[in-house]
Amino acid sequence: MAVAALCWALRAARQVLPSPCPGQVRSYYVDWRMLRDVKRRKIAYEYADERLRINAIRKNSILPKELQEVADKEIAALPRDSCPVRIRNRCVLTSRPRGVKRRWRLSRIVLRHFADHAQMSGIQRAMW
Amino acid sequence: TSSVLSKDKDKSAVSKDSSPEGAAKRQEDGAETPKQKLLDVIGGMKVEVSYRKKLQQLKASENKKQAMNKLEGPDSEGSVPQGITERGKPLNPELVKAASAVASSLPRDKKQTESELLAQLRRHEETTDKQKKGRTINIRNVISEMTIKRQSPAQRGVRISGRISLQLDEDGQRIRRERSSAQSMDSRSLKVGKRLNIFTKASTEPEHALKTVSSPTIWDLEFAKEVAAVTAQPPRNGFEEMIQWTKEGILWEFPIDNEVGMEDDAEFHEHIFLDKHLEGFPKEGPIRHFMELVICGLSKNPYLSVKQKVEHIEWFQNYFEEKKELLQEI
Repeated sequence: MAVAALCWALRAARQVLPSPCPGQVRSYYVDWRMLRDVKRRKIAYEYADERLRINAIRKNSILPKELQEVADKEIAALPRDSCPVRIRNRCVLTSRPRGVKRRWRLSRIVLRHFADHAQMSGIQRAMW
Repeated sequence: TSSVLSKDKDKSAVSKDSSPEGAAKRQEDGAETPKQKLLDVIGGMKVEVSYRKKLQQLKASENKKQAMNKLEGPDSEGSVPQGITERGKPLNPELVKAASAVASSLPRDKKQTESELLAQLRRHEETTDKQKKGRTINIRNVISEMTIKRQSPAQRGVRISGRISLQLDEDGQRIRRERSSAQSMDSRSLKVGKRLNIFTKASTEPEHALKTVSSPTIWDLEFAKEVAAVTAQPPRNGFEEMIQWTKEGILWEFPIDNEVGMEDDAEFHEHIFLDKHLEGFPKEGPIRHFMELVICGLSKNPYLSVKQKVEHIEWFQNYFEEKKELLQEI
């Protein structure tokens, strides 16, 4: 189990960009919380269809209740990381869980930093 | 039979025949039937610049005729693969007959022409056998020798055939024939001489075989990568930068195509009318009701492909079949 996690971490850590681009080259995720979030996203993607279908059976007024109870148990048996509710939209650069603007996937501090250096296209200091 | 085989070989060796030989051969083949038919056959044919195609056609028709006429059906088939080792020395009696018929039809020394035609036939079969073995260069030399030495009967044959055709063909074709004959007789250098073997298939095939074996080595790939990295100069202006980005896939292609990457070949009716997939379900009861709702929802969904929708329905089918025992309790 620990070995599997380690292998996963190594694979995740080997995220080297193929093309030589100027600027930062990040070969690791910022922290372990970010890595766990990445894992959750992957597993949620895999089980998304199944969850949708089982939920369709559960949230139903036509099918018999016994069937719905069975579906309840089934969905509870799926891996915990497969539910999309556990995904947290963290900042991509700093892994900050709060104050993240969805459009840029950046936390407010990083966003402000780049916007002031004119590296965010279309962002301007508001003045009215 | 040997004649059929020799004719087949002749087809392949036709490209190496010089024109006067071809003309003489045509005469023999045409004259197998009485002279009238010979003239008809020659007159019916259109005069082409290259005698080779003609010869091929004639040989093909000859083959068919001979195959039909031959009574030794199974023997001929059996002797075809063995015929490779057969020598052309015992000439086919039909060929001999053809040669004698041609000689008789010609106005000049019959015996001399007949002997010369037979000799040419023999040499021709020898050359085809040699070519079968693969010694193309020797045949070249042989043919070149033949054209230089044996000009007179060949020339005579050409003139006679020209005369025969001149009587029957139109003016335009006659002029063409003269031009082509002059070309072939005066400029001997065209077809005479050693071949350089630049464009022959046999020499290029082993190279290809070698290449495919040695291409996927790691060092070659690395070298290719290095070369690409060195030659890829940084973009000089914004246009080149945009080109580079488009190649990498960062930038979309303009004018923007909304359906890039989306290859849905299914018609609209396959998306909407999904009732036919509901055949595995019971016709009445809550399950049917539920599945009809599912289908209604799927038909309104523009984001899924037909395949995904079908998979969706099949998943439900499997699920309900697994729960059949439970359902029957209810």
